Amino acid sequence: MLNTFIFVVLPYVALALLIFVTPYRYLTNRLTWSAYSTQFLERKALFWGINPWHYGIIPILAAHVVGVVAPGTVKGFLANQDTLIILESLGLGLGLFALFGCLVLLPRRVNSPLLKRVTFASDYILLILLTLQTATGIYIATFMRWGSQWYLHTAVPYLWSLAAMSPRVDYMADFPMVLKLHAAGAFLIVALLPFTKLVHLLFLPIGFIKEPPILYRWRAKHMP
Amino acid sequence: MDVRAQLVMVFNLDKCIGCHACSISCKNIWTDRKGAEYMWWNNVETKPGVGYPKKWEDQKVFKGGWVADGKNLRLRAMGKGGTLLSMFFQPNMPKLEDYYEPFDFDYGNLYGAKEGNDQPVAEVFSQISGEKMAEIKGGPNWDDDLSGSPLYAAEDINLDDRKIIEEYDTMFMQYLPRICNHCLNPACVASCPSRAIYKRGEDGVVLVDQNVCKGWRFCTSACPYKKVYFNWNSGKAEKCIFCFPRTETGQCNACAHSCVGRIRYVGVLLYDAEQVEQALLKPDDQLVEAHRAVILDPRDESIRDAARKNGVSEQWLEAAEKSPVYALVKEFGLALPLHPEFRTMPMAYYIPSLSPVLSTLGDTHELAEHGTFPALEKLRAPIGYLASLLAGGNREVVASVLAKLIALRGYMRGRNLNEPADEAILKGAGLDEAAAGRLYRLFTIGGHDERNIIPPQQREEQDPHTRKGASGFGILKKTGRGR
Repeated sequence: MLNTFIFVVLPYVALALLIFVTPYRYLTNRLTWSAYSTQFLERKALFWGINPWHYGIIPILAAHVVGVVAPGTVKGFLANQDTLIILESLGLGLGLFALFGCLVLLPRRVNSPLLKRVTFASDYILLILLTLQTATGIYIATFMRWGSQWYLHTAVPYLWSLAAMSPRVDYMADFPMVLKLHAAGAFLIVALLPFTKLVHLLFLPIGFIKEPPILYRWRAKHMP
Repeated sequence: MDVRAQLVMVFNLDKCIGCHACSISCKNIWTDRKGAEYMWWNNVETKPGVGYPKKWEDQKVFKGGWVADGKNLRLRAMGKGGTLLSMFFQPNMPKLEDYYEPFDFDYGNLYGAKEGNDQPVAEVFSQISGEKMAEIKGGPNWDDDLSGSPLYAAEDINLDDRKIIEEYDTMFMQYLPRICNHCLNPACVASCPSRAIYKRGEDGVVLVDQNVCKGWRFCTSACPYKKVYFNWNSGKAEKCIFCFPRTETGQCNACAHSCVGRIRYVGVLLYDAEQVEQALLKPDDQLVEAHRAVILDPRDESIRDAARKNGVSEQWLEAAEKSPVYALVKEFGLALPLHPEFRTMPMAYYIPSLSPVLSTLGDTHELAEHGTFPALEKLRAPIGYLASLLAGGNREVVASVLAKLIALRGYMRGRNLNEPADEAILKGAGLDEAAAGRLYRLFTIGGHDERNIIPPQQREEQDPHTRKGASGFGILKKTGRGR
């Protein structure tokens, strides 16, 4: 029952919300589409929170994605035990770094009087959710060793079965509770993304990298 | 040649009385709302002083603008890679304390306080947290009129000799009103990872698209004038919009319209977009000349043709011809760019102040050859200071402008006193009788329509056939299904 909820209902609901709500919000009200930075009002604690968080979590998130996208390549890469040990240690370190960031950011919201005005329920929900997600991730990395290996043989085929619209819950069913929580947390974050400031993740600065520095907009077609 | 039109404002610093009417009218129209309380798209500073935000001119602090390294211009702060790595924490962003914590007073208490032994007072509270503030620590013009102050004025980076503000008989003061310069090479535009800031092709106004901005905050520090602000409520950047809803209909900007001293001039400049980058590679002290070279003569037929090819309308060409801005910036060379060495090619120009020209004559001031006015080097506001502010350190440029202003005053004084008009004074400074007549009108009795020549945008003029066949309401996309 719980397995069905976490591994079938939750992911599809999250995916549906992501696919339908995101473009709806993009097309109807982009005025709320912002990272909602609070650096302007408080920057001392932010520095020690936001940098560890992002620099810790982005490589870890990328590693999760790479495992799903190219499992074969990753399997070959991890076949060497030394590589595996280095990678797992690096992942654990980055996870702890990210968790440290969360633990700076949480009290920061509470303590600064100026920030109260720009702090909403969604900020706390996201921060707590991300902290828990990082904490379960660190637990798994510490006590369920070689996750980068078994991830490729369990979660990855499960995610592919999700994509194929025939979810194979049996890949995940026998895992301990903490891993199920980690998966549920991930789906929950995806589900919340289109409703919150997390939309700032959906950002590809292609124009910034490729275009000339000064951007012009002409009302009518410009004839050069 | 890529001829484009730009709406430009000129400020005559001699006439600014520092009344802040411009700031107030701007605030009333544009920034009197949540998240924008601290923003003053138009502000007036006392110079020497630290300005708003504090020390905005010191690029060691916020790292704004561009630097030229021989063959290329690059943003002073960081390149594209550095930008993408600093998105989480923008190291150069000015913080609230660099501006001030916006405040208001609890006036309701004056009426609603319970009867007691003491007079009720309106206590001060923060417009951000809503909590009472023990002490107001700053405001948008906190150093107003304090140019003798070692606390504020001594921090002015344009002063090379700080002693000058300590002695009563050498101390000087002037006002500096500032809006967004709507630069030809805007650093804010280049720094935006979202590409939300753009320069309008038709009139050169630089705007932040509120739909595209995601609040990455690089513009706030990339602008060397600190004229892009972060709205803490909307999480997006905002800036002066050159009152485009007004100028599009031929009305003058709110700040210029409300100006008590009538110090502002608004008009069209034609410029060559292809020359901008090359001009900005010149050394600091040649930048004023480079600015002037980029600006084109609206009476030259070949330039007019090139402008027409770029879609500049006849009305705009006519306005460019009559433009008070062209006269002041290029034709008579009186108005100078603010800190050209920031290399954004700002499109707001300043006529340096001459005042006070009359003072106790004697030790401090020596009479010029033609009497009445002190010699250039003896003016209260030191040329070096003005050169640092308005000419990238080039003293000759400033001296030539001041000489013209002195000549103009001397000549007109003579004429008004029915003395024989001596055109030689004008010639000596590079002016002539016709120029004196035009400038005299602009500086004194010229009315609103002489000081502000703003052609309407005539949106219907552009591509009428496309618009006719489109969906109306200014949207060019076709409606309905199919092709």
